[in-house]
Amino acid sequence: MSEVIRTQALCKRFGGVVVADGIDLTLIGGQVVGLIGPNGAGKTSLFNLISGAIKADSGSILLNGAAISNLPMHHRARLGVSRSWQHNRLFPSLTVLDNLLLAQRPRQGGSLLGANPRSDAHEKSSTRERAMAQLEKVRMTAAAHRLPTDLSYGKQKLVSLARALMNDGDCLLLDEPMAGVEGPAYDSIKTVVRDEAASGRAICVVEHNISFIKDLCDQAVFMFAGRIIQTGTIDEMVRSPELTELYFGA
Amino acid sequence: MEFVGSMLIQIGIFTILATSFNLIIGYGGLMSIAHPIFFALGAYGSALITQATGLPVPLGILFGMTLATLASVALALPSLRVSGDYLVIASIGFQLGLLQIIKNSDWSGGPGGLTNIPPMIATVGPAAIWSYVAIVGIAALASILVVRWLVSGDYGRAITAMRDDEEAFKGLGHDAVSLKLVLFATGSGLAGFAGGLYGHYFLFVTPEQFEILYSAAMLTMVVVGGIRTVWGPALGAVLLQFMPQAINFLKLPSSVTGPLQGILFTGLVLVFLFLRPHGLLGHAPGVRAVVQEDDPTEAPAK
Repeated sequence: MSEVIRTQALCKRFGGVVVADGIDLTLIGGQVVGLIGPNGAGKTSLFNLISGAIKADSGSILLNGAAISNLPMHHRARLGVSRSWQHNRLFPSLTVLDNLLLAQRPRQGGSLLGANPRSDAHEKSSTRERAMAQLEKVRMTAAAHRLPTDLSYGKQKLVSLARALMNDGDCLLLDEPMAGVEGPAYDSIKTVVRDEAASGRAICVVEHNISFIKDLCDQAVFMFAGRIIQTGTIDEMVRSPELTELYFGA
Repeated sequence: MEFVGSMLIQIGIFTILATSFNLIIGYGGLMSIAHPIFFALGAYGSALITQATGLPVPLGILFGMTLATLASVALALPSLRVSGDYLVIASIGFQLGLLQIIKNSDWSGGPGGLTNIPPMIATVGPAAIWSYVAIVGIAALASILVVRWLVSGDYGRAITAMRDDEEAFKGLGHDAVSLKLVLFATGSGLAGFAGGLYGHYFLFVTPEQFEILYSAAMLTMVVVGGIRTVWGPALGAVLLQFMPQAINFLKLPSSVTGPLQGILFTGLVLVFLFLRPHGLLGHAPGVRAVVQEDDPTEAPAK
């Protein structure tokens, strides 16, 4: 499988706080990488850097070999960098279905407004079908016409995942997809992530649920204080007393 | 009857102003108080070009509208790239600065204003007034329909999402700056359109007619009628145009009517913001939610 994302010596600091300190990370198509570490390690900041929500102080980010470091966030998403957010960030004024319809990856060169152009009936219908299919994957079709604010946090997480899936690009970044999710949905999400990886996408998951990472990820990356401390399997990391101490404190 | 005609013309012009302001602050969520200056640019631009070149009035109005649109892009482009907050600050400076230039320039007639503006309808009398009522009425309706078209369907969904959460919106591949720019430029262009109609009806304009406080009047129309509703600003314009006339009927001294009008405008905004923030024609947030039975296949709430 080919390399989808490569970050090289990525650095970012906010005043005295270093959130990325020379990060070298590679995401390969078809693989799922689990990003773990204690709160404040810089995991979400790394997602923000790759997706363009924040701009790196130095270093570079390559998407399929092309530099994207200087591109604005919306441009990176159009090129295929899709993400979910730690706190969902669904649009509260729009229904669940509308949230997904808006997440259809805009065509390159798009419309003047940068929004989805006024598409024809066939295109609208196929986008709607795609949206319902993504909701079906996370068992949320019944909520299609409800507002996100009417749903529990866990259900919002599922919708958030479905929205991220609407962008069919090569890179999928999932920020704590399991937070608040229990029961049958847990297995659904695992199946969804596995299927997406099997289709050739490079997936990176930030997650505190270690058993989820263990079940799902081909590789784990341990971060602490803005740096990658170790890369390997989750079993190796769980057995390491040093990493356990860094994760849980002394 | 001429009084009624004149009132209707003012209602039509303020309907365009309030509708365009609603597009900017309501639908776009862009806080700007420079709307009166775009109104002024339309009025002065159209008046000056028709005076100087003899251009037909409709083309002059188009020129004034274009001038207001271009000026709004010049204001918004640097402000919107950084953060919406900068637009508020920049708009204050833009409004005050440009009005000072108009007040202190010879070409604009200075503080005394501009007179002898060519009329759109050369004849005088009731027929001319009612013709102008029809023109302004069609213009107001067209403005409302333009805004309705813009805020419906795919674009409407995008505008709502951008207002809800700009960063998440960008994360889905949408260019928020371009969208905000389009909203701001369209709203400001419509204000310029209203300015052109205003100048060619009253046939004189002065800087006092475009002071920053008129933003408050426009805001009152939007809030009272219904922010983020298509027809609300028009209703607000009707009510807010009738209110000063109603005060005049009380035959109070002019030293009282001026401040009383200001107090009533401010009071109305406060009352509506506290008691009915969605205005007369708006719906309370969340009413669109369709209540359905929980799907048993969904994960249980935590």
